Amino acid sequence: MKMIIGGAYQGKVGCATKLFGIDEEAMTNGSTCDFDEIFTAVCIKSYHKAIARFVAQGVDPIAFTKRLCEENEDVVVIMDEIGCGIVPIVKAERVKREATGRCGCMIAENSDTVVRVICGIPVYLKGTPDAD
Amino acid sequence: MITLVTGGTKCGKSSYAERVLESFGGTKYYVATMNPVGDDAQEIIARHTEMRRGKNYITIECLRDIGDLDIPEGCGVLIECIGNLCANEMFGSGEVNEAVLKITEGIRALSERTAELVIVTNEVGSDGNDYSPDTMQYINEMASINRCIAEFADNVVECVYGLAVAYKGKAIC
Repeated sequence: MKMIIGGAYQGKVGCATKLFGIDEEAMTNGSTCDFDEIFTAVCIKSYHKAIARFVAQGVDPIAFTKRLCEENEDVVVIMDEIGCGIVPIVKAERVKREATGRCGCMIAENSDTVVRVICGIPVYLKGTPDAD
Repeated sequence: MITLVTGGTKCGKSSYAERVLESFGGTKYYVATMNPVGDDAQEIIARHTEMRRGKNYITIECLRDIGDLDIPEGCGVLIECIGNLCANEMFGSGEVNEAVLKITEGIRALSERTAELVIVTNEVGSDGNDYSPDTMQYINEMASINRCIAEFADNVVECVYGLAVAYKGKAIC
């Protein structure tokens, strides 16, 4: 399992193509996909959006992500870092943000490689470029 | 040399940018992009003016059209900052304009005639809120500008509570 994180629009999808050879057309979009697709996806982009949809639709995001880690060991997960800034006033927003943090920790723990992208530049937080 | 300095708010970007230019022996320009309207702006301008006192910068205000700057060849230039410049370009005319190409091409052109160019920008895309479409477009365009400048910059540095972390090239201490 591999993970690419970073703020919005930092160039995460481009890094997935450059580093891991996955074209954007081959990626499953967490904003719109059927949830079941995630378990067989080669790469999921905007997984934080999928988590938001789990929360909105009453699917347990932690259990879902645990199953993802168990069943799709070779997947590349791309997700935004969304935990900075002020804790939201609206409870649903807080729940979503916390779920994203917990799921992100689980994915990072299960990944051999974690890359953080800033200004389009990949930084390896876990693993090394040679290992890819 | 071209250096892009990024980071969150009040993380020491300006101080770092000035340190990069400290040893530069030639003429130095400070390009101020902030719209000087409002109490906050006045406070920030006063603080930054104080920081630069005695450091021999020629200050030029440039709220937009960065490519039209009239700066002679071979100078040291500090641009502060892309966040304001982008907001001025996008929202300054009453309607929302695209700013990426204009700003990146302007800075690229400027970089071709400067000896030392330091660009201060901002990270605005990591707080996870869904803002209005105009604000989301601003976040998107800021990130595009940063990615584009990072490509042709020699150094890309993030400041974290005053510490400089280099992602490309190197950071000075």
